[in-house]
This record gives sequence, structure tokens and C-alpha cells, in this order.
Amino acid sequence: MDLVEFALLVVLTGVLGGLVGSLTGLGGAVVVIPVLVVAFGVPFPIAVGAGLITILATSSASGASFVRDHLSDLRIGMFLEIATVPGALVGASLTIFLVQANLSDALLIALGVILLAIVPGVVARRRQELPPPGAADDRARALGLAGEYHDEALGRDVRYEAQRTRPALGVMFGAGLVSGMFGIGAGVFKVFALERYLGLPMKVSTATSNFMIGVTGAAGAGILLAAGYINPVIAAPAALGTAGGAYLGSQILPELRNRTVRLLFLPIVGILAIEVILRGLGLL
Amino acid sequence: MSSPEAPGPGRPVPIRALPDSAYVRMSLVLRLGLGVSLAILIAGLIAYLIQHGTESYSVIVSSNPILSYLNLRGLAAGLAGGHIEAYLTLGLLALVATPILRVLSGFYYFHSGGERVMAAITFAVMILLLLGLLVLGPWVH
Repeated sequence: MDLVEFALLVVLTGVLGGLVGSLTGLGGAVVVIPVLVVAFGVPFPIAVGAGLITILATSSASGASFVRDHLSDLRIGMFLEIATVPGALVGASLTIFLVQANLSDALLIALGVILLAIVPGVVARRRQELPPPGAADDRARALGLAGEYHDEALGRDVRYEAQRTRPALGVMFGAGLVSGMFGIGAGVFKVFALERYLGLPMKVSTATSNFMIGVTGAAGAGILLAAGYINPVIAAPAALGTAGGAYLGSQILPELRNRTVRLLFLPIVGILAIEVILRGLGLL
Repeated sequence: MSSPEAPGPGRPVPIRALPDSAYVRMSLVLRLGLGVSLAILIAGLIAYLIQHGTESYSVIVSSNPILSYLNLRGLAAGLAGGHIEAYLTLGLLALVATPILRVLSGFYYFHSGGERVMAAITFAVMILLLLGLLVLGPWVH
């Protein structure tokens, strides 16, 4: 296979990833990274680097829209980045050390396990529009971590206050770690912390998570780029395809109101996770 | 006695919204950064494929064409010499720099609004991002 064919196939992989990623809410990298490793034999850290570049491309596009529409809570997002960024720096460094210690296979198995762990979380995810009311903690009061947005569906303004910032910061560090280590957006973990611990409404959680994913991705990508693990001939077509697929997904998303139909896409992620584990175990 | 910075428990937390211009500017930074970086990457990729398209893909899987351009001197020389790989590196750098610029604009708004703690947090995030790109990455390599 020559380089032009390879680039086109990587673009198509990105389109599939962007589509599945936007329909499941997991992001395109969960498809792109396993396919690059299993189908094309791309080394793990290079695939992780490509995954982070796809995250930067797609999150900047969607993040810009959420910010423009005042749906992302900039204050809460930037406060939590103090946890996700160190997590991503540690994660990306850890991946490089483990690869240099010839432990790429262990990383592959860990990636597969993480992907398999994410899927049930998406299935069981609470889709409650508004969280139960709760009181802001001292840190949230001191930093003014509260906001308001107009909910078109509910036809009224919705006010919210951040509640438990300490556990949220802990989960955010973990989300950054996973993102930096495995090149995925880890938006599921971020949304979990925003909804479960901070008590933010669903729409604000999704938009704020998207706003933060770019900065978390930039932390991991910066290390991998400087260390020579981002190959533009692989990362660029993956990012272009993923951005296209995500756009396609956003166009057909309103048509797929039935949650079950959307969940049908999750087995794709599950199958890829199993293939990655088998590759890590040397069985594929 | 409770200060205006920390209203007492039970009372609603006052909403300290950033000015509309913050939303507009951050959205613009993200759009412009993405547009510029993708334009450079697409043009660079097409040019690279025109030059190397018939080579086997296994070469690109096992080697990285931008390694010589990952330092300032190499990048500047590559750009001045019109090397496609240097432009691809520039596109990647622009993509990574876009969220960093977004953090910088956040710092500007918190600092000019007199919010010292939030300004310090965003400044620390920016320093950490630059540390990863300029110190940690080359070091672990």
C-alpha cells in the first residue's frame, strides 16, 4: 500500500471515528487509536499522538460554538483545568517512559480495559436534565463558581452552583491522566465529575467538558510533539477525517432521538477494545 | 463576618459572569487557531503526498519526518528553506498553541477583572502547558 492510499484510509477511519464518537459521546479517538494500532500497525505512542491531535481539532471546533452560545461555564472550566492539565502531563510522560521500557503491550491492554470500562458508563449514564439542588462549598463560594443559562427546552433560565469541588478536582486529575496516557478525550469522566460532584445541569456539563478537553489534550499533545511522537502524516488525515465525521454526526444526531439506536454504536467501541487487548496479549 | 468574596453558607453564590467580549474573543481564538493550523496541515499534507505518495506506507509508520524540525533553529531553517516537513511541524504547533492562547485570554480577563485567585489559576495552567511543550517533552525524549 502506498502513502496516498494509506492517508485516504486514515481519513476514512477518522470519519468513522468522528461519527461513532459524536453519536456515543465518547469522541473520535476511541475508534482512531485502536484502528491505527490493529489495522495499520502504527506504534502505540504515535497512535496516541494522533488521537490527541484529533481531540484538539474537534474540541476547538465544537468548543468555539459552545463558548459563543454561552453554554460552557468558562469560570468552572478554567478552575478545573488546574487538575486536568497536571494529570495529562503525568499521563503523557508515563506513556513515554513505559514505551521506552518496552511496555507498549501493557499500555495496549490498559487502553482496551479503559475503553471497555467506559462503555457501561455511557449506557448507564444518568440523562437527568437538571441535578437535585445542593449547596455550594466554600471554595465554590470564594471563587464564584455559579452560573445561569437559558434552557430553550424548559423555556426558562436555569441557575446552578458548584457543590463538591474537592472530589471533582480528583476525578478531573484522573481524567487528565487517562487523556494524556491513552490519547482519548476522557469526556465521560469529566461529565461525570461535573454532573455528579459539582451538580451542574446536563447541558452545561457537556459544553464545559468540551471546552476543557482541548486544553487537556494540548497538555498531552505538547509533550508527545516535543518528544517526537506526533507524526503529521498520520495525525493530520486522522484529524481531518474525525472533524468531518463529527460534523456528519452532529447533523444526524437530532434525527436519532431514540437512545437505543444511539447505543447500538457502542459495540463498535467494545469490539475495538477487545482487539486492542488481544493485540497487547500477542494473540492478534 | 463574611466578606464579599465569600458569601455565607445558605445564601446563593453571586454570579460573576465574564464580559460578553470574553466569550466572543475565546470563541474567535479557537476558530482562528483551528482554521490557520488546519489550513497549514492540509496544504502541507497534500504537498508531502505529491512528493512521497508512491512510497510504501510502512516507511511513515516506522519513522517521523519532522524530527529535525522539533527545535527552534531546525524549524526556522526548515521554514526558510521551504521544507514541507517544517510547515507540517508549524501546523501541529499552531494546533497545540490554540488552547494555550485560549487560556491566555482567560488570564487576561480574570486579571483585568481584579480576580487574583482565578488569574493565578489560569496563569499556572498556562505555565504548566508551556512546561510540557518546552521542557518536559524534550526532556522525556
